[in-house]
Amino acid sequence: MPRTRSSKLIAALGLTAALVAAGCGAPSVGNKNASDQTSGVTINVVLAAEPPPKALLAEFTEETGITVNWTNLDWDSLQTKISAAAAANTYFADATNVDWSRVGQLGKLGWFTPMETFLDTAAMKDDVPQLASFTSDGHVVGIPYDASFMVTTVNRAMFEKAGIGEMPRTMDDYTDDLRRIKQAGVVEYPLNIPFAAAEGLSTYWYETTAAFGGTVLDAEGNPQFKEPGSAGFQAAQWMIGALKEGLVPPGNINVTDSQGQQTLMATGQVASTFSDYSGTVGTIYDVEGSSKVAGDVEYLPTPGVTGPAANLSNPDAVGIPKQAKYPDAAAKFIDWFASAETQAAFSGLDGPEKIYEAYPLPSHVSAVDRMVNADKLAGGAELVTMLEGSQPVFEGGAPTWYPKFSNAVYTSLHAAATGSMSVEQAVGTIAEAAEDLAGAA
Amino acid sequence: MKPARRIGLALLLLWSLVPIYWAVRTSLQTESDARATPVQFLPLNPTLENYRTLLTGDGEVPAQIRRSAWNIVIECGAATVVTVLLATLAAYAFARMRFRGRKVIFYTVLATMTLPAYTTLIPLYRIMSQFSLVNTYTGIVLVYVSGFLPLATWVLYNYFSSMPVSLEEAATVDGAGRLQVLWHIVLPLARPGIISTALITFLFAWAQFLFPLVLSSDLSTQPLTVVIAGLQGRHVVPVTLLDAAGVLAIVVPVVLALTFNRYIVNGLLAGSTR
Repeated sequence: MPRTRSSKLIAALGLTAALVAAGCGAPSVGNKNASDQTSGVTINVVLAAEPPPKALLAEFTEETGITVNWTNLDWDSLQTKISAAAAANTYFADATNVDWSRVGQLGKLGWFTPMETFLDTAAMKDDVPQLASFTSDGHVVGIPYDASFMVTTVNRAMFEKAGIGEMPRTMDDYTDDLRRIKQAGVVEYPLNIPFAAAEGLSTYWYETTAAFGGTVLDAEGNPQFKEPGSAGFQAAQWMIGALKEGLVPPGNINVTDSQGQQTLMATGQVASTFSDYSGTVGTIYDVEGSSKVAGDVEYLPTPGVTGPAANLSNPDAVGIPKQAKYPDAAAKFIDWFASAETQAAFSGLDGPEKIYEAYPLPSHVSAVDRMVNADKLAGGAELVTMLEGSQPVFEGGAPTWYPKFSNAVYTSLHAAATGSMSVEQAVGTIAEAAEDLAGAA
Repeated sequence: MKPARRIGLALLLLWSLVPIYWAVRTSLQTESDARATPVQFLPLNPTLENYRTLLTGDGEVPAQIRRSAWNIVIECGAATVVTVLLATLAAYAFARMRFRGRKVIFYTVLATMTLPAYTTLIPLYRIMSQFSLVNTYTGIVLVYVSGFLPLATWVLYNYFSSMPVSLEEAATVDGAGRLQVLWHIVLPLARPGIISTALITFLFAWAQFLFPLVLSSDLSTQPLTVVIAGLQGRHVVPVTLLDAAGVLAIVVPVVLALTFNRYIVNGLLAGSTR
């Protein structure tokens, strides 16, 4: 065989071997080499959260023989990694984040092993009300390990300074009180809305829609906000109206929900955040040193049309990717990590060395009750009531097309806030996007 | 220069430099000064405490920054060395040697530069995973090399092509072999082109985020760019410390770009005026 042809053949065989070895084109399936070992193994846990206290992790390792290698990655980067690993059918973690907004998508794609395969999820339902937010097509995609839900926070000192003795219970009273605070000169812009084109603006609108007594999408994913009298339409109108009226700082056009919005509250530049996150009073606003309003901020039962409204859930959960190397060991870890006992320890009920500093609130009602009884939760009584009444953002779980829908929501509302669209146009654009996406799905 | 151009240039400079100035300003403040109202446009009580904390302090965040700084230096350094070595040999072969399929291979290599990098992410991830190279320096360096080799080859090809052949012919007449000519004649003359290629490769590698994000799993290989992004949104990390980390991340590329600006421009323009 001439040398040139031989070289080409070797090159072609090499290329073919590399592609076959890489498994290009193979369907996304579980890890064939997964082990059912639950002792003497090291599992990789990747979450957008600080690692839990070393003392607690050491106890877990001693009890089970499972060593936990914890990686903390920011939320956006983690979502990229989850998608890349699943698309490439490649291992990257034994347990990782399941965000409420991606439940429908993750459930449909089958990237995570259903948790009922490993744990008695049916028995958890009563004590973990937010488990419903992680159920897709009857399968539990992840187990919530905290109870993040949207709440209203108010700076009571500012309300009192404006002569408001009784805190508002309805949207009308709430709006009037904000106007009184502005007129009294307590603070120039009393209301906090993160109008940057980002996810936080979408969730703010969902919570405000719930306060106006409605929902954004029905169980089939149909938009419920097209009519001017609908709750979603009124919510958008109220938010944009508050900005135009001067109740919201004009600079909030570029403020996001996380650090931006909460910083304004912590530095006393606003008097209230209508859709804040549970746990912020204890973990941010009451922290001496970094907060200027320590002791002044409290939770307010979210004002509704005629009285307090429901609080929508956006908790964090942990699940097991299909490519996990040690799925059974990961399940054992999740069972421990998301248990009421561990969450009580995270919250400081078993001594200071086991406190999980960035931990918002237990997902188990029984653990929250224990915190309240032990006087370990700022605004505990209010939070327990809200947690018990918390509801999923979407009746039928987040649709598979949620990320695109959310994008349409925050870009349109942002455009309305900047004045490049009217509220009617913004809501119409969102409705059109929802119908297109639902139709295509 | 016309006034309109001056204004345009000034606006462009403001657009580019104000965010960097703001990061430097914040990094030189304490947390309470940074959050003070009214905003201090100049730090009234500048302090290097944030840099001291990052470079010598205890705690999780400084340790992460130091380790990831080490990682990025190793990954970018190794990728630069391997890329320049391979690109030099390849470019010299394409510029001087005559063999069947030379042009096809050369233009095929160049054509890979038109592929959006993201389209190769998943296949590369699978290949690295199959060869157990995920979360290793080797894996990240190999991916960088595969990404930057075409551009480096093109830059050096243009440089070699612009050099006179007569010197190499004279050396050949004197009995020097192909590699001897390359080593003793071509490389010393091509030093500016090689420096340009190395700088361009290093700077591109330093700016990478998505590939190292996906290909690294923990702090053993995560570069500074990935770790700093991970610190955002964590309330426990002061914004002043975050900005100091950001400034540290841009110091190396800024110093390199300002010091060797001439080489970078010449490298990218090599062959454009032939």
